Order: sequence, then structure tokens, then C-alpha cells
Amino acid sequence: MTDARAAILARLAGHRTDQATIAAQAAALLDRVGPTRPDRVRGAPDAVFLQRLASPAIGATGERIATLAELPEAVSRYLAAHALPPLVAVQPHPELAGLAWAGIATHADITPDEAVAVGLAHGGIAETASLVFHSGAHSPTLFAFLPMHHIVALHAHSVRPWLEDHIAADPPRNVNLVTGPSGTTDIEGTLVRGAHGPGHLHVVMIGSNNDADPVAATRPA
Amino acid sequence: MSADFTARAGAALADPTLKIAIDRTTITARTKRASAIAAWPEFPLARALGRDIKDHVIAHLDHYLLEFEANAIASGARVHWAETAQQACDITVALCRAADARSVTRSKSMLGEEIGLPHALAQAGIERVETDLAEHIIQLAGERPSHIIWPALHKTREQVGELFAREHHGALPLDTAEQMMASARRELREKFLAADVGISGANFLIADTGAVCTVTNEGNAELTTTPPRLHIVTAGIEKLVPSTAHAMSLLRLLVRSATGAELTQYTSFHRGPRRPGDTDGPTEFHIILVDNGRTRMRAEGLAEMLRCLRCGACLNHCVVFRQIGGHAYGGTYPGPMGAVITPILDGLAASHDLPNACTLNGQCQEVCPVAIPLPTLLRGWRDRSWREGLEPASLRGSLALWRFVARRPALYRAATALALPMMRLFARRGWISAMPLAGGWTRHRDLPAPPARGFMAQYAARQKAARR
Ligand code: SF4
Repeated sequence: MTDARAAILARLAGHRTDQATIAAQAAALLDRVGPTRPDRVRGAPDAVFLQRLASPAIGATGERIATLAELPEAVSRYLAAHALPPLVAVQPHPELAGLAWAGIATHADITPDEAVAVGLAHGGIAETASLVFHSGAHSPTLFAFLPMHHIVALHAHSVRPWLEDHIAADPPRNVNLVTGPSGTTDIEGTLVRGAHGPGHLHVVMIGSNNDADPVAATRPA
Repeated sequence: MSADFTARAGAALADPTLKIAIDRTTITARTKRASAIAAWPEFPLARALGRDIKDHVIAHLDHYLLEFEANAIASGARVHWAETAQQACDITVALCRAADARSVTRSKSMLGEEIGLPHALAQAGIERVETDLAEHIIQLAGERPSHIIWPALHKTREQVGELFAREHHGALPLDTAEQMMASARRELREKFLAADVGISGANFLIADTGAVCTVTNEGNAELTTTPPRLHIVTAGIEKLVPSTAHAMSLLRLLVRSATGAELTQYTSFHRGPRRPGDTDGPTEFHIILVDNGRTRMRAEGLAEMLRCLRCGACLNHCVVFRQIGGHAYGGTYPGPMGAVITPILDGLAASHDLPNACTLNGQCQEVCPVAIPLPTLLRGWRDRSWREGLEPASLRGSLALWRFVARRPALYRAATALALPMMRLFARRGWISAMPLAGGWTRHRDLPAPPARGFMAQYAARQKAARR
């Protein structure tokens, strides 16, 4: 279809601006982003994250533990609270594989109707309480979409204030921002939780990020 | 107005269930958008930035298309170009055939509707499974989308329950929207994993990475694009943004304007096929860049329309859309934005009624997150339709008569002095609900009764009193 390509580009060709000018204009637009952000990330990003996560608009749950070693215990508590069998798919991440999953049968291959999956997020975004997942050998994309209950460990130090803060220079095949459990508004515009993706999302924050400078986390004036 | 549009609008107005369905969704949508915007005092600045980002891209579209193409190819994607809807469908069908595809899952995309992809796949004998809940509903019902965010907006929950009871295989209860969603989840689960090809649209094309951004609430886009061997993206060329950071600014605007949320549940950036070490993801990744009238819009004074993020806010706030719904417009895109785009896609001769079906109250422009001057663009089409002689003789005749009278003040005053008391004969409690020659107006709404004397008569009387 080189013809279509040539024809489209020909119709778009006008007086040409040099690349440097276009790049400078694009950069100038980004300089204006700061004052447009919803000014609400006040305080340590991980604390803001947990607060927003529990808001009705997002509809997820969260808790905080001191170290990753406590994750299996947190998962056991979650399973008990929801009367779920001790059978979970664990994201094939080395940090998770090394944990002592006593009393829980784990597997790495996720099935279409998996009840519970446990994962580790690449990072978090306080502004929207979004989890960031980067696809790769340690993080299959479908882990965030097939289970009914998704339990996600999140290192407090990986939570950053704004949507722009987790942009990778050379992103992997798939970057997913996950904000709450799946839902739909397709019937009469009203939000219903639990669509094709998980119906429940539980975030386990690891450690805390008290060292983060709360001033740096707020919006530049 | 041509017979088609008048007939469709008339049928819509006569359907009380349709009015209930439209109200339920649009009222919720307006309320949620209003509270999201109220919680974001920075909105006016963000809106100006969004407008300028889009204008920058549209001005340098050739530059960004080439940058995107190079980066997408470097990520392992294959990039195709289509000038027309037909070309885009042909490329898609050829890719499906080359992959021996029997079953295709599709994640909602307005561009797919615009180019007629559902029809093209059916013609090619390829099974198409719509995975978005609303698209699933209208696929089962054999209907067309009536809204760009809520394609099944014209259906009440009661109607959806009846449809699922008839068409779904499970025996799950279907009394609430939750139960209907659960039934659809079960119905579609296996189909996601069995498909050979997944087709999605794009909310943004990221020039500096070659990535394609999609946003969904349901998680169906990722389930559509990850398991199959092929992922095909069909995207309009106006979807480009310079970088991921630019996309974030537009996402803040898009999501609040569409559903009133701050971010959709799933915002995904897809970049090329499966990589070494990946345990899932497609082995082939194709992107079809579609023009279909966009370069013409840019050249013919409609460049501002290419800013559109397809958020649907202008539909939810349009007094005409809220009465007649989406199907009456007859095109892929309804409401104010549809009335601007459809004449490009279907020709002005077939759609000149649409720019006329507007009160020019300016609500759409006010809520548009990228400040598209929709009323101005609609007036442009009205002008053109008049110049091209597309308006019917009766309208031209009555306007000529009005012009004749209006340019002769004495005659005009005499005519109004005669007409006003006559109109008042039909009024009850200040409203006229029926009057000869006014059926077109009064069938679906009342006409306020005019005062006994017109403005000029009242003005003259006041001047006289003041002088005394
Ligand atoms: S014209 Fe504006 S308000 Fe309407 S759908 Fe497009 S972006 Fe949204």
C-alpha cells in the first residue's frame, strides 16, 4: 500500500517546518503541564495512593505491611476473609518466587478462570491510584486480566506522584496502568464492578516512603 | 429537511422507551462529568493545553506520521496505510485470511464502525466476536451503535435483560446490571482465548515510541489483543501525539469528559509483537493508519474537528441528541460532532439535514474538552449547503418571503401586529400546544404564547410615555 502512503503524505505536505522547531514546540507544550494537574497529591505519594485507592470512584482495597516477606501471610488473610481456597497463581517474578508460601498451593501458569492471582507491580501512581505493569518474562500481561481476585504487591518507594512520572524511555511490549477492579458503565451509564477483568483488586503496600520529600511531591506552582 | 432524517427523528420521538433509555444514561453522564470537572479547578488550563497539543499535531501531521511509522517498525510492528474505508477493510480481511483466521475478537473502536469493519468481516465469512459489553449487546440485537461511548445507550436495562435471556447460554439470573455483566463475562470467556486475531482501535498513537494506547473499563481490550496470534490496530491518522507525556494530558481530559472518572480502569500501551522471554502477547502486530476523509477535513476548513477525542460529552449535552438519540442521525457519529463529520464521510447532499438539526445553543462547544467550535463548524456546513442549492425549495421560498417582509419595516410591523393576536387565540396559560401550520413545532413541545404587542410596538409606546 505504498500508493496510499504516498498519497496521504502528499496531501499533508505543506510548508515544511524543520524538525528542531517542531521538537521545541512539542517540548514547550509539556512545560505547561504542571499547572494543569489536579492539585491533590499532598504528602508522601504512597500514603496518597492508599487513600485514593479506597475511594468509591476506584473501589479497590489496600493494606500496608513492613516487608515483602510478610506477603504470604497477607494473602492468607485475604483468602480467609473471602472464603477462597488456598490456591493461587503467582506471577513468575523472582521476588515472589523466593517467598515462603506455607499453606498456599501456588502455580505460575494462569488459567482463564483463575480465582486468585498474586502479582508485583512495576510501580504506582498516586494521582490516580494506578498500578503500573511492564510486560516481560517476569510479568505476563494476562495476570492482570484473567483472575477474579487480583492481589498486587507494591513497593512504597516505587509510588510516584503523577501520571507522567512512570514513563519509560524505551517501554516494553506492553505497559498497563491498572486503576481499580474492572467495571462497565455500558448499561444505562451506571458503573458496575467486575467486568471481563478482575472483580476485586487488593493492593499490599510494602514498607513506607517517609523519606520522600512531600514538597517535591506536590504540584509545582 | 429530507424525508429520511425527518422520518427517523419522528420515529425516535414517538418511542417512549427510547426516551427513557436516553435520559437514564445522559443524565448520569452529565452529572458525573460535572462533578469531575468541578473537582478539577485547573480544567480551563488543561483544556487550552489539550487544544494546543492537538493543533500542534494536526499542523505537523506528516512529520508525526513518519516518526510514528519508523518507531512502530523498529518495535517489530508492521504499518499499513489506507486512504479509504474500503482499503482499510481490505487490508484487515487480507491479514485475517493470510493468518487462516476463523475467529476474530474485536474491542470497541469507533473507527472500525466508521470503516464498516463488522460488515467486511461478515462478508469474508470470518466470525466476529464483539467483546465490549455494549458492542456485545448490539451484536446480539443486530443493531448499530447509537453513541460513541455507550453504543447501546438506546437500550434500557430491562431490554438488555430480555435480550440476554434469549441469547445467552447460561442460566444465570438477569435482574440487575451486575448479573447481566456476569452473564456476558461467562459467555465471552472462552471466545477471548480461542480467537486467532484480535482487532482494536487506538485512543492515541505515540510518535516517539511507536506505541498504541487504548483505554477500557472492562479489561476486554487486553483480553482481545493479548491471546490471539495477530493483533491488528485500525486507527485514524489524527490520533497521533508527540509522546506518552502528551497523551497523559489528553487522558486527563478524555476520561473525565467521557465517564466522569479520573482514569479508566485500564490504560494500555501496546508496542509491537511478543518479545523473547514474553509468555504472552501476539506474534504479529499490525497497525493500519486510516485517512478516510481526514486529510480533506484538514484542507477544507475542518482542521479543528480533528482535535476530537471521541469523548461523547457533546452528545450528552445536546438538546437534540437527548430527544432523538443516535440512530436518527443515520451516520456512524451522532450528535454535534457527528453532524460535523458525517457530511465529510457520507457527502453533504445526503446529510445536509444534520447541521440544521441544531439549536446553536453552544453547549457542545462549552463542554468539549479540546474546545472545538462545533456551532461555527455547523454553520459552515449550513452556508455551504445553501450555496450548493441543497436546501429544499419550500425553505428557500419561505426565507425569501421573510426577507422581503423583513426589509420593509412598515410591512413587517403590520404583519406582526396581525399575527400576534391570532397566535394568542391558541394559547392556554401562556403556552400554545397546537396551532395551524405549527404542528412541526408543537407535536413534541409547546410554543410560548407571544405578548400582545411586538417589540417595536412596545418600544414606541415606552418612548412615548417617557417623553410625557
Ligand atoms: S467534539 Fe469535543 S465533546 Fe464532542 S466527542 Fe469530540 S472531543 Fe468530545
